[in-house]
Amino acid sequence: MFCNLTRWLISRAEDRGKEMPRFAERHAARCEACREYALFAASLSSRLSGETPAFLAKSPDSPLDPAAWAAEGAGRGTGAPFRRRFVLHPFPTAAVVLVVAASALVLFLVVRREPALTSAEKLAVIASLKSVVAAPAEFSLAVAEVGSPLAKERQILERSVVSAVEYLQTRLNIRIERKETPKSL
Amino acid sequence: MIDPGRIEQKTDEELAREARAGSRRSFEELALRYKRRLFAYFRPRLGSDQDAEDLVQETFLKLYRNIHNYDPAHRFSTWLYTSANRLAISSYRRKRTTAGRLGAEFAGDMENLAVQAAGETRSTGLWDAAGTLGGNQYRVLWLRYGEDLSIEEIAASIGKSRLAVRLLLHRARTNLMKRVGPAPGRAEAERETAAVGETPLG
Repeated sequence: MFCNLTRWLISRAEDRGKEMPRFAERHAARCEACREYALFAASLSSRLSGETPAFLAKSPDSPLDPAAWAAEGAGRGTGAPFRRRFVLHPFPTAAVVLVVAASALVLFLVVRREPALTSAEKLAVIASLKSVVAAPAEFSLAVAEVGSPLAKERQILERSVVSAVEYLQTRLNIRIERKETPKSL
Repeated sequence: MIDPGRIEQKTDEELAREARAGSRRSFEELALRYKRRLFAYFRPRLGSDQDAEDLVQETFLKLYRNIHNYDPAHRFSTWLYTSANRLAISSYRRKRTTAGRLGAEFAGDMENLAVQAAGETRSTGLWDAAGTLGGNQYRVLWLRYGEDLSIEEIAASIGKSRLAVRLLLHRARTNLMKRVGPAPGRAEAERETAAVGETPLG
């Protein structure tokens, strides 16, 4: 178990270009197989890099096909600048289209234009407006007749007090007199 | 106009920028640099030289078609191997559908490769032995040590997480060591390590 863990730590240290953890070092010092693995992993980079040219030289030198590129090049715009492609995602796009269509429908139904008025209708409308405008004279009279709410309140309060005084006089067989006149509100 | 004398000294990224601007000569230079590398990358998994060569051609055609999409902020090799991987996956899928017909032949090829790896690894080299590992293990080994890509770049190229790449590399090292044996000249290094191990900390 420690061997597997140690080898993983050795690999990780190799990939990160850092030193092995203490634990792995100590274990590798005791375990021959892990020590071999550490040496192998450390040497792999230089060995594989060193062998790469010889390995590539063994690959067949197959000719390329520039004619196919030329045919391809005729179809594409050369030297087009790099830019990210604008991609419409289907679900959000469909949702936006639906919302826009619904809004347009609501606007059409609610703020729909009325047909234009004829001249007779216009005269009728003006007459009705005049009748409304004529109302304020009667209206101001009606308003003048309405009493002050505060005076009404005071009258109600006075009546309540008088009634209470009468009740007390009757029940207690006493007489209650007003000492001074009430101040005006 | 591109100076033919200097084109070989240019970096891959400079050539890719010029190719993107419309220079076919620069693209040809890139293709010359990478055609053998791509072949070596594809060959072990595909099992035949012809298939690997076809895929190399297909990859360069795709790259030429999409060179305007190359982002100079990234390394050219990362972009190339990302495209190559996508094509390779499609090719493997196609191959799998015809595996019924070609199964025996393909298995024979793979068996020959395994026998060759077991018997001749010391004479043919590490890369030949690496070619007999699983496809993904060979791919990450190639990208790491053949192309010197970082873990992040490999992860982007093959479409896997960084942890998955590190795991594949770990398995590749373990399996490769099983096939080729420990590193040569280990006796000396072993003595050094043992000397370190005898310290009080060891």
